[in-house]
Amino acid sequence: MSGEILRGRDLAGVGLTFDADAVVIGTGAGGSVMLRELARAGLDAVALEEGAYLTSQDFDQREDRMLAELYQDAGARTTDDMAIRVLQGRGVGGSTVHNTNLCKRTPDEILELWSRKYGIGEVRPNDLRAAFETIERDLSVSDIEPAQRNANNEILRAGCEALGWRGAPLKHNRIGCAQSGFCELGCSYDAKQNALKVLLPEAVRAGARIYSDIEVVRIVHDGRRVAGVQGVARGADGQPRARVEVRSRAVILAASAVGSAALARRSGVPDPRGTLGRGLRLHPGGVVVGRFERKVAGWRGIPQSYECTEYLSHEEGSDKRVWIVTAFAHPIGASVTLPGFGAPHMAAMRSYPNLAVLTAMVHDETSGEVAVDGDERPLIRYEMVERDRQQLGAGLAACARLLFAAGALEVTIPALAPVRLGNVRALEALDLSVLRPHTVPLTAVHPMGAMCMGEDPRTSVVRSTGEHHQLRGLFVADGSLFPTSIGVPPQISIYAFALHLARHAIERARAG
Amino acid sequence: MRRSESRRLDSNDAAQAGGDETRRWHEVSRRRLLRASLVGALVLSGVVAAMLRARGYRTPPGRKLHSLSGWQFVVVQHAARRITAADRQEDSSIPSADEVDVVGFVDAWVARVDARLRRDLGRFLAYLEHAAPLACGFGSRFSLLAPFEQDRVLTSVQSSQSDLLRAGFDGIRSLVFMGYYRDARTWRAVGYDGPWVSRPPGGWW
Repeated sequence: MSGEILRGRDLAGVGLTFDADAVVIGTGAGGSVMLRELARAGLDAVALEEGAYLTSQDFDQREDRMLAELYQDAGARTTDDMAIRVLQGRGVGGSTVHNTNLCKRTPDEILELWSRKYGIGEVRPNDLRAAFETIERDLSVSDIEPAQRNANNEILRAGCEALGWRGAPLKHNRIGCAQSGFCELGCSYDAKQNALKVLLPEAVRAGARIYSDIEVVRIVHDGRRVAGVQGVARGADGQPRARVEVRSRAVILAASAVGSAALARRSGVPDPRGTLGRGLRLHPGGVVVGRFERKVAGWRGIPQSYECTEYLSHEEGSDKRVWIVTAFAHPIGASVTLPGFGAPHMAAMRSYPNLAVLTAMVHDETSGEVAVDGDERPLIRYEMVERDRQQLGAGLAACARLLFAAGALEVTIPALAPVRLGNVRALEALDLSVLRPHTVPLTAVHPMGAMCMGEDPRTSVVRSTGEHHQLRGLFVADGSLFPTSIGVPPQISIYAFALHLARHAIERARAG
Repeated sequence: MRRSESRRLDSNDAAQAGGDETRRWHEVSRRRLLRASLVGALVLSGVVAAMLRARGYRTPPGRKLHSLSGWQFVVVQHAARRITAADRQEDSSIPSADEVDVVGFVDAWVARVDARLRRDLGRFLAYLEHAAPLACGFGSRFSLLAPFEQDRVLTSVQSSQSDLLRAGFDGIRSLVFMGYYRDARTWRAVGYDGPWVSRPPGGWW
């Protein structure tokens, strides 16, 4: 039996109520895997997606249009104090549609920590190996070859080599890449082997149904077990068109670390210890811009194909917690990144083809929180702790060193008072403490935590199986699960954890 | 608006379900406190100006606005002119903010975002128009100042001690750049060859 993908916006004026063995909220990395596995197990599985169903035909490589279509709040979501811009996906396929395809497994040190310190069962490297191998095969994960490396990534590699710093090529999930460089705006060439291209079609072939344009507003439950979800279908204009209710004894939350926790909180999911929404990590990052004599054209080619890990260790309590990669953008993104306005800003933009950009992302210890505001919208509280601020400053300085080592004429750290460096010696006089939130523009693209897994209900929200401690039938299958930062891009970890935990959701859905 | 409507739908459903678990998390956020401070400052610094802020603005004839009011349109238009290529003496082919209709883009974009963001933007524009010039020693509203005076006001807000004001400036700056650099006419100036999809046979410029 084959399922289908239906557009909720076509439900105009018609209410929709039905039963399902399992309902998955969200269709990104975690939701797509869960949906496929549930359908392959012969269950009547349904996914509800808040955003639109768009395909490669719709991705037109225009920043202004794609930001509005593919990102939460049209790319304008921030932390509550507005210090950090939080970029999250929306639409069928979730963030896997706009990410840059980086695939790095959860580091072994992190998995060992979760097993040892948080008592999470079946989470050691050997326990997850099969899930990682399966998902990497499903998504055709492979090395980006040196010949495919673009000029910006080549600058990062050259910087590492010149300084003798640790660096390495990265793996991606892409096949037949046209190297257009528009990955963050959705792939117009269907080269991304992601939820949208691979996993959701497999789920549909196995009989799953996917509804786009449906925002789930409430998880229905009696305090002991779930009974389904309630939502609203929206038209293309964003206006509510119809109520939707799905009755089900298994509800799988896969709406991101922010979306899942916010929905659980506004649904009154039991939270006797006040752990729900806590433990949010963001991997906040700042950028450093280098101007080169030669043309870089950093917007062309495959982004983020090389990494510098000289300042990154995944050991608990490490003082090296910065991951460095490239972060080039198209003109809108670049113009927002460069400091200032008016004529000086235009002068900087006229150097656009000669710029290379690196980002320092902090493997953060800060524990933030997802709450809900008066409009019942997600509220992200996150105040960076001093140890992370120091990491940020050290990371930005390291980016500047790398750019100079690769031949940059001038390096700029966008900040309240922009730091402009003419040579590497100027770094020695730089007071790194000025590089902190609110003075340096920060972006986060890897929210995780907020519904953390663990065996102790006093410190966690869900069990090692992904099922809620108090609410039978409620599962989590996204980055919300992670009790600490993982220090690498989370997409492949989210896919793998969803696959690893799927059997428990299947068991529960079958039991009814 | 659409968000609150959806919640009303949901509240009814929850009531029907008889659940008392709909525990509210209406928390006083830092953003709200900051916003309250901003509104307070605005009131203190220019009650009269705020009351009269909708008067004396020439709404562009024939233009239908989607989200901005007439006075907001004028403020964004003036800010956009200064934030983008304010001085084009180096290359007269660089388009102006008016030529690429930055304010029209902002008006359409704001119509798509949720009510909270729209409210934040409206409050910041009111501050920029009425209170920020006072803080710089000008007795006139932002949209009536000379260009170099407007630059001083924008610079002052950009480097304000207030996290919220800086964030507000960054928000309007980002919107303006989005409206400006979306236009292919700006790409030649910065050497960007544009999207591959729908590319004209001779290129974008």
